[in-house]
Amino acid sequence: MKEYLLLFRGGDAESMQESAQEWQAHMQKWMHWMGGLQEKGQLVGAQPLDRGGRQVTGSKKVVTDGPFMEGKEMVGGYLMCRAENYDAAIEISKGCPILEFDDGIVELREIKELKM
Amino acid sequence: MEKFMFLFRGGENHAHNAQDSKVAADNMQAWMQWMGDLAGKGILVGGEPLQPTGKQVTGTKKVVSDGPFVEAKESVGGYLIVNAKDINEAVEISKGCPIFEENGRLEVRPIQSMEM
Repeated sequence: MKEYLLLFRGGDAESMQESAQEWQAHMQKWMHWMGGLQEKGQLVGAQPLDRGGRQVTGSKKVVTDGPFMEGKEMVGGYLMCRAENYDAAIEISKGCPILEFDDGIVELREIKELKM
Repeated sequence: MEKFMFLFRGGENHAHNAQDSKVAADNMQAWMQWMGDLAGKGILVGGEPLQPTGKQVTGTKKVVSDGPFVEAKESVGGYLIVNAKDINEAVEISKGCPIFEENGRLEVRPIQSMEM
């Protein structure tokens, strides 16, 4: 089994949050999706990220406030899962509720093993 | 204590970027030392490098494409999760990161707590 990091980008969470009911229904789908992965032993961990943040750059370690790039490029959250290979990880990704948005993106990246 | 995610971008001396294997090995050593030190202080929650390639699944049609997805210097190369009192402390922790010696940058993002 390999581990994959799924990075979520895009998806218009902001406009959806204007309707509490719509937002709650959407969040329910995330919970349902992640709950399903957990039951199958595929979920390693997942959290949404706050929209704010800081950036530290280069040898001078210059600190700037976020956001750092266009909204649609920004990472909004992550999930780590176990899968046999990329094809299996892609199948997992296809259940992700961010894909209910036309501009929703799941980036899949295989995690390198790190020997410490 | 709150949790913060560091997303690493750029960095010229990583194994897959460095021209010189000695430079790559020294760089790896610096990362190990930094992460080991954070682990010793109970600051480190987790973190791993990512393979430079990957996949992307987009929108309601769930179109699958191969990475890389953004310019190499914009691409996320790895992540780290740390415990810190607040974002200012998290930024201070991040300043010890060896990525600044290889012309890289790092994004500090507060993790939202989520009840499942």
